[in-house]
Amino acid sequence: MNPSSTAKSMTLGEAGLVTVFSLTAFLCLLAVAMAQDTAFAFHAALSSAASLWAVIAIGNRYFARPSLPPQEINGRPNYNMGPIKFSAVMSVIWGIAGFAVGLLIASQLAWPSLNFDLPWTSFGRLRPLHTSAVIFAFGGNVLIASSLYVVQKTCRVRLAGDLAPWFVVIGYNYFILVAGTGYLLGVTQSKEYAEPEWYADLWLTIVWVVYLLVFLGTIIKRKEPHIFVANWFYLAFIVTIAVLHLGNNPAVPVSVFGSKSYVAWAGVQDAMFQWWYGHNAVGFFLTAGFLAIMYYFIPKRAERPIYSYRLSIIHFWSLIFLYIWAGPHHLHYTALPDWAQTLGMTFSIMLWMPSWGGMINGLMTLSGAWDKLRTDPVLRMLVVSVAFYGMSTFEGPMMSIKVVNSLSHYTDWTIGHVHSGALGWVGFVSFGALYCLIPWLWDRKGLYSLKLVNWHFWTATIGIVLYISAMWVSGILQGLMWRAYTSLGFLEYSFIETVEAMHPFYIIRAAGGGLFLIGSLIMAYNLWMTVRVGEAEVQSPVALQPAE
Amino acid sequence: MKAILTVHNFASDLVTTFWTPIFVGIFIAILTYALWPRNQAAFDEAAKMPLREE
Repeated sequence: MNPSSTAKSMTLGEAGLVTVFSLTAFLCLLAVAMAQDTAFAFHAALSSAASLWAVIAIGNRYFARPSLPPQEINGRPNYNMGPIKFSAVMSVIWGIAGFAVGLLIASQLAWPSLNFDLPWTSFGRLRPLHTSAVIFAFGGNVLIASSLYVVQKTCRVRLAGDLAPWFVVIGYNYFILVAGTGYLLGVTQSKEYAEPEWYADLWLTIVWVVYLLVFLGTIIKRKEPHIFVANWFYLAFIVTIAVLHLGNNPAVPVSVFGSKSYVAWAGVQDAMFQWWYGHNAVGFFLTAGFLAIMYYFIPKRAERPIYSYRLSIIHFWSLIFLYIWAGPHHLHYTALPDWAQTLGMTFSIMLWMPSWGGMINGLMTLSGAWDKLRTDPVLRMLVVSVAFYGMSTFEGPMMSIKVVNSLSHYTDWTIGHVHSGALGWVGFVSFGALYCLIPWLWDRKGLYSLKLVNWHFWTATIGIVLYISAMWVSGILQGLMWRAYTSLGFLEYSFIETVEAMHPFYIIRAAGGGLFLIGSLIMAYNLWMTVRVGEAEVQSPVALQPAE
Repeated sequence: MKAILTVHNFASDLVTTFWTPIFVGIFIAILTYALWPRNQAAFDEAAKMPLREE
């Protein structure tokens, strides 16, 4: 069919979205007028403006486009890279913001005057800003960008949907904006990693369902008969996050024109729901999704096949079967029934097997290509991330054992553990993926500078080591001081004495975080220069590249 | 309606009573599929998927 011969008309999606966003713009304006609190009024005004922008953007795109982009050009899939570029750029921006806020709150713990005595800059509001920025904004955008890239390449088709992929990436980042500004204004439902209030949650639900449909739609129309293992991991991540989000967040708003709501669950059921959600956010967002990155980007970068595809299947299913039960280990020695605590502990220990199976599979993919670790710092970053994955998935089950947990829980050890996973595993695998993705997306031969990647690698690694070792010492010290008794049976230390003992470790931790932030700035510069001055990849217009 | 409820109760009882053997059974089926010698060649091909795309 000759595209120029078809008369241009608005697609159902374009017309539908213009209608919906026009209506939303009006309704949100109404909500501004009726708002019960300033934060809600601000978010309603923001949403009204954003809806109006969406109407204009969709309209402009319609008038500018000749016809809908073809599915294939010269027999090759016409991959949809625009939304992926957007998401990849946002991940770098949010990453730097999230690491910077992390550095600020780490410094606040060492020097409390950095709270500036202002509500908006207090630790309590900035801490969820930090965690959400790094997990959902940085990590989430890396996952969305990489998943939409990998699913197209391994299915050999263009992404499903025309406006839908754009709706997902812009809608998701708008959710981040509403959640983040909400935290600063004091809007929170006080559930860890699920702080956004009801209206942000509803918006995320819509965006996430569209994400699932785009991903599934692409898999359904695939040209490749086999569904590659990375897509299984991505799909598990998308489906489970949807289920977790719906399970943990049912809430009744005090007013439909106000930000405050009350969560439907109460007492220990609420606690169990929260940590079923919280731990599986770790298991399916921070693990399954990034394992998908491991299974695609490490073979690609090392130019080696996956070490054992069988192991990858067993890895996937055992992870899926076990992870969902591990949540109760966050509630040891609480009102949660003892059997549930033991169940959580048992499943956490069983998780050692699939975690290490996966780690071995990732590392052994380098069989026959180990020499590349010397010459390719990007591959080194990816491989070290898998090593950190192995380390933190050893430490996690160990900490879930009740007697260990009685020492580690509520101490800095937990913070250290989380950061060895977050900085070492999620951070490094994301950086590695971005270093691969940016040149691919912008058709560059390679990165602007491998030397700068090397600098990023070492700065960040030293940062992580400083961070986690400081938190180990500090956490164990804290735990031991809390449980020390005198010969007369009194507690040996007052709480403030334990706080004082933490001080030097807080400074070391902040220094480690600072190095990690510097590393990410080096990366941002490198990626920027790759896009700006990088040598363009010459692509043959028709012939396929030979298999490597 | 009553018939539907009876079927629902029966299914619910079956799952709640036997979910451990059911899940173990499903998992063993997955293991068998993954380790079945005849699937080896297909899996070796799949392991190369990231390398052979254009």
